[in-house]
Amino acid sequence: MNLRIRRLGAVLGVLYLVLFLQLNRVQFFGAERLQDDVNNTRGLIREFGRERGPIVTADGVLVAQSVEYDGSVDVRRRYPEGELYAHITGYQSLNVEAVGLERSYNDELAGDPIDQRFASLGDLFVDRNSTATLVLSIRDDVQRAAAAALGDRKGSVVALDPRSGEIIALWTFPSFDPNPLADPDGTVANAAFDALLADPDTPLLAKSYREIYFPGSTFKLVTAAAGVETGLISATTPIFPVVTVYEPIPSGAPIRNFAGSDCGGDLVELLRVSCNTAFSEIGAEWVGPEQMVDTAEAFGFNADLGLDLPGAAESRFPTDYGERLADVDRFRAPDQQPANGAETVLPNGAVPIHENSARLAQTAIGQNDVAATPLQMALVAAAIANEGVVMVPHVVTELLAFDGSLLNRIEPEPLRVAMSASTAAILRNAMRVVAEDGTARGLLTEGVVVGGKTGTAQLGTDPPNSHAWIVGYAGVPDEEPSLAFAVIVEAQEGASEQTGGRVAAPIAQAVIETVFR
Amino acid sequence: MTATESPSTAPVSPLLALKPRRVETGLLMMVGVAVAVAYGLASFGTTEAIPANLGPFLLWMFGLGAVAHVANRRFASAADPVFLPVALLLNGLGYVVITRLDGSLAALQSTWTAIGIGGYVATLLLVPRARIIEQYRYLLGIGGLLLLMVPLVPGLGTEINGARIWATIGPVNFQPGEFAKLTLAAFFAGYLVDSRELLRNRLELRDLAPIGIAWAGSLGVMVFQRDLGSSLLFFTLFVVVLWVASERWVVLAVGAVLFFGGAFAAWTMFDHVQKRVDIWLDPFADPKGDGFQIVEGSFALADGGLTGTGLGQGEPGRIPFAETDFIFAAIGEELGLAGSSAVLMAFLLLIGSGLRVALRADRVFEKLFALGLTTLLAVQAFVIVGGVLRVVPLTGITLPFVSYGGSSLVANYVLLALLIRMSHEQRVAIRPVKASL
Repeated sequence: MNLRIRRLGAVLGVLYLVLFLQLNRVQFFGAERLQDDVNNTRGLIREFGRERGPIVTADGVLVAQSVEYDGSVDVRRRYPEGELYAHITGYQSLNVEAVGLERSYNDELAGDPIDQRFASLGDLFVDRNSTATLVLSIRDDVQRAAAAALGDRKGSVVALDPRSGEIIALWTFPSFDPNPLADPDGTVANAAFDALLADPDTPLLAKSYREIYFPGSTFKLVTAAAGVETGLISATTPIFPVVTVYEPIPSGAPIRNFAGSDCGGDLVELLRVSCNTAFSEIGAEWVGPEQMVDTAEAFGFNADLGLDLPGAAESRFPTDYGERLADVDRFRAPDQQPANGAETVLPNGAVPIHENSARLAQTAIGQNDVAATPLQMALVAAAIANEGVVMVPHVVTELLAFDGSLLNRIEPEPLRVAMSASTAAILRNAMRVVAEDGTARGLLTEGVVVGGKTGTAQLGTDPPNSHAWIVGYAGVPDEEPSLAFAVIVEAQEGASEQTGGRVAAPIAQAVIETVFR
Repeated sequence: MTATESPSTAPVSPLLALKPRRVETGLLMMVGVAVAVAYGLASFGTTEAIPANLGPFLLWMFGLGAVAHVANRRFASAADPVFLPVALLLNGLGYVVITRLDGSLAALQSTWTAIGIGGYVATLLLVPRARIIEQYRYLLGIGGLLLLMVPLVPGLGTEINGARIWATIGPVNFQPGEFAKLTLAAFFAGYLVDSRELLRNRLELRDLAPIGIAWAGSLGVMVFQRDLGSSLLFFTLFVVVLWVASERWVVLAVGAVLFFGGAFAAWTMFDHVQKRVDIWLDPFADPKGDGFQIVEGSFALADGGLTGTGLGQGEPGRIPFAETDFIFAAIGEELGLAGSSAVLMAFLLLIGSGLRVALRADRVFEKLFALGLTTLLAVQAFVIVGGVLRVVPLTGITLPFVSYGGSSLVANYVLLALLIRMSHEQRVAIRPVKASL
């Protein structure tokens, strides 16, 4: 019998070995797969119920914090300023993935990074609060002024420091209250979500950096930069003839000025009156597709801007203009130009004409398929204000430890060089003229040097509606500009070139006043 | 029995060669410290405070351990010193986790522990020799069947969670089946002492009749009570003991055929059996419904990882029945692979010690009885841990000594006392021989 008992022992040993192997599979080798399972809400709830660091503005206003909660979890997130900062802080929710800084700085807020957890050797032995405080570059007074000036019109306001890329205000109306979304009670959060998702005005979407719009005439700044970069155009030469219509080469829809008006003159004058015909010609015949695409992309189009908020949209500048047909020599009379298809390589001043240069005539004035985020258009102005350099835009400047000591400072970082400093200087002066004597007069503020460019992106509706734009910069006299901005007010009545200046400029002016008060 | 199976061939571990009660004292000290620390940590983990009742708890726990230890010293001084400390370790760990899961169960469980220790001491007192049990084998067999039928009696039986395995007398609910398994193990062993010579030579249906009736009866009762786990337990007990007694492989073959036949019949006949199998095959098919318990148990174990979340720091409360059927998952979550492996090792220690008693027994009854008791313990732990780990379909039975549940705890302490009794008897028998060497 003992033989059988030993065999039984062996069988039991094998059975328990199977248990042990399976235990290893569940608890170790397969644990990650189980933890990542869609049905596994443990990680979510644990993450949700953890203490996180607060988020404060540059001027010390608390915009997100963890507060004690009496229920399924110990703490929950509160957003004391409600909708004013919703598109920046985002929210941390049990129901859906976090957005905003709650997402992009999740680990730091939760205190996970190794350097936060173990700042010194002693931290190995104590359970220190390792959560980080996020300090924003946003100024609460500017953010508030922007929101007040925009009021209940749909639109966005972006203000930033062109020298560093630090964003000073980032506001979109409509916004939303993130507090119910962060409710640990799933039904409360779900109801709030459903209501917001059903809203046709999409308040959840941070349109200032997540939606793209026709930039309208504000895009002429990019075309102007590309034109000056060719070396063929300066502030004073050439003088473009006064015309009412531009006929694209080789063929295509003619470009007209607003309401059949005529315009021409030097570059400053073209910008001052926002001359469609001349900028179409500059784009299609002076700059050409390659240089236009290069310059647009140097400003940040067709690429990620490196913003520290998740989900940012890429602005769009079309890149396809068909086959290269012929080169146009700027310095020869039209009857001396080579026939289409002729492969004549010309010296300085040659511009390649493409199959679809007519499209370029449209994109050069911000029409056709060009689309930009308000943030991108603010960066266009910022590059001009900052000697041609686009800085990486960001809203977080510092990470502080629980005891207030500095963990990390986000240093300003150049993103692209959009143009040379001399080109930037030409455009900066031109924008100043536009503000002092053109469509952007609404920007003028006492004691501040301002420059701007308006835009009215017609939506082709009946009655005519347009996005009203203004972009620009401001600074203390004799100093580098310290503010660049873009304002868009969506779908305003009217379609005249005055619309942008009339509607958007006062909002930008309110921001300038607050910043330089 | 052949000459090669004399007790002296059984392995003697170095531990056993020492003075067993002194070894037991040392082991109990370690268990006491481990459980006390675990209790403090669990409380600290959940409430961030050292428990106010830490002092009384320690007194109570050490007191119970001391009572059992003194009983061993007085009534089973030569017994294997591994049993009691390992059982108390499992019991203590289970208690800590139960307290941490649901404080209101803690008082009940500590009462049941005291009753369990009482049952343990009483068994040592009432059963000075294992052969006394052999004398009452038929009485115990009938008693076992009656116990199994108690829950079916109107007025006495109570159905809880779909299984009619509870009897209610006054304010006390208990599962008579937990005790029936002990008496039936005694009956199987006793009966086979009589008939094993016959069985070894020729296996005829006639000789198997009484034991077959006992088996079929217990299975039938189990099916009516919808308690699959116990059903499996009894069946395995029957086959294993019969196999060892008859020394015939054909028993295993017939057992396997019967098992798979019965399992298939149950699968076709009962919806709840089909559901169990479906859940076993794919719990993620309905992770929020039928598969919820298994799925949550797996998530808990996965969260535990290698070292666990720490006592009181996990979320084992999310698993349905975490304090009974799924206590293994709760331990795995908070103590990690290290803790859950330790529980498996503890059972292996108990099983090894139990099998050693069976090996070293010089009488057939003790051999088969110790074997039966050890099989019960081993299979019960395997079935529930295997169910939690999805090695076998889940059947709701307790993890011996660990799960919340009075009947189970008391019955298992009695089981332990019986093994200790037999261990003591054989070591007393050996000692003079060893002394003369």
